Amino acid sequence: MLFLEKILRSKAAVWTLLVLPGLWPLWPIFVRPDPSVTADALKYLLHHFGFVACVVLAVVLAFTPLRVLWPKWGVAQAVNRHRRLVGVAAFVYAALHVTTHFVYEGGLDVSFIPDIFRAVVSKPFQLTGLIAFTILLLLAVTSPNAAIKWLGGKRWKNLHRLAYVAAGLVAYHQAAARKIFPLQVLWIFVPLALLEIARVWKQRQVGRVVPKAS
Amino acid sequence: MHIRTPKDWELPESAVTSESLYHLSKRRDFLKALGITAVALGARQAMGATAGFPTKLNPAFHDAALKPTAYDAITSYNNFYEFGTGKDEPRELANRGWKTDPWTVEISGLVDTPIKIEVNDMIGKVGGIEQRVYRFRCVEAWSMVIPWDGFQLSKLLALAGPKADAKFVKFYTFNDPKSAPGQREGNLEYPYVEGLRLDEAMHELSFIATGIYGKPIPNQNGAPLRLVVPWKYGFKNIKSIVKIELTAKQPRGTWEAMQAREYGFYANVNPTVDHPRWSQASERVIGGGLGGRQRTLMFNGYDKQVASLYAGMDLKKFY
Repeated sequence: MLFLEKILRSKAAVWTLLVLPGLWPLWPIFVRPDPSVTADALKYLLHHFGFVACVVLAVVLAFTPLRVLWPKWGVAQAVNRHRRLVGVAAFVYAALHVTTHFVYEGGLDVSFIPDIFRAVVSKPFQLTGLIAFTILLLLAVTSPNAAIKWLGGKRWKNLHRLAYVAAGLVAYHQAAARKIFPLQVLWIFVPLALLEIARVWKQRQVGRVVPKAS
Repeated sequence: MHIRTPKDWELPESAVTSESLYHLSKRRDFLKALGITAVALGARQAMGATAGFPTKLNPAFHDAALKPTAYDAITSYNNFYEFGTGKDEPRELANRGWKTDPWTVEISGLVDTPIKIEVNDMIGKVGGIEQRVYRFRCVEAWSMVIPWDGFQLSKLLALAGPKADAKFVKFYTFNDPKSAPGQREGNLEYPYVEGLRLDEAMHELSFIATGIYGKPIPNQNGAPLRLVVPWKYGFKNIKSIVKIELTAKQPRGTWEAMQAREYGFYANVNPTVDHPRWSQASERVIGGGLGGRQRTLMFNGYDKQVASLYAGMDLKKFY
């Protein structure tokens, strides 16, 4: 555990962990081409980037509850040093997903662009994705220290609570992406929801205790 | 051991054109030279249940403008939920001991003579196979061009003789949870069923495929025989058929039963009627790369041939 804690403290290690899933598609597309992937490599990229964005978002949202629930656990402390970095990575993967969506839906033909926007606004499945992406974009541009100063700590914190809204939208978006319900949505978001419930419950307990003591 | 005797309607091996069959036929010639006329089970399994039938392109069902999708993509990018919901899974999981040879199909219901027929005998009775190059459009908004080998569905139905009160045709896929992991999981309701109106089924475009690119149809594509109705979404094209039933009542397909708002009975390819979650106005061309998107055609490009089947119907209502 100490070893894991040491690794997770290192910014370079976290960077590497965040970049690796982005390089993964090189394997089935170029290194050892898989005909199931190369049949439509763009679709593979679209789903891969979307999936990674979901996982990274769920992971970064788990950091705070882990720290609240187990404040003395070194791993929880270590990962909480990288909250903003991991959060920006979730945005970057979401941006890759959205960019791939445009190429996937439009090919190289600009005449498809109106169709793409019509579909985005008329399909709740796609609209939820776009709103979640807009939220992540907003949080990413306000992640530098200068933005925190400019907004003020409290306002910044409130703004960044929108990440929970994004997670809810993303869970729906991912669930609606397939013809039958994809179970991966459950194993990504159910643990996160449980952690959040436990965290809120614990913070309420503490909140009740503190005024009595004072 | 399973010994195969060549049927009298089988043409000599020299008539076979595809490369893999060419190599196999050399082996057969060698065996023949030794005086061995039967081919052992091993070779037959490698070839598939409906191997050995010569196929020839029918120019009436081929548009030179269509560029066929690569064989590798056709046989690696499959929706066959009986073997998993991933596109890559059927290729893996349908080839782990699931037996598609021998294979018998039952035709029953409102017919003059209910029959049960082995698939090789069936091909003989309908007069052999031919190749047709059809567009294939999945409801998930992707498309291929596939050179199918097989025969017109109407010829098969004629073997049993639909009665006058038969109005619909219901198709059933095999049900064998031991061999099909998706059926064990129950990711859909099995067996998979689909249906057509009788006049749709009798249309000259409606086809039973037993091969692709001159080779017996691989397990992941619905061995040994499947439906191909090129103006409808792919899910109508039920795979690995074991039973065909003529009915008076409109059958309910598996997908329609699960989510009628998204998957209708007709499921005609129609760029103006969207799926609730995505547009059907255009489609990804499998193997098309970065620029692989094209506009979807009404009835998948077969409107001249089939539009009259739906004259006067509101296709937004009967989607």
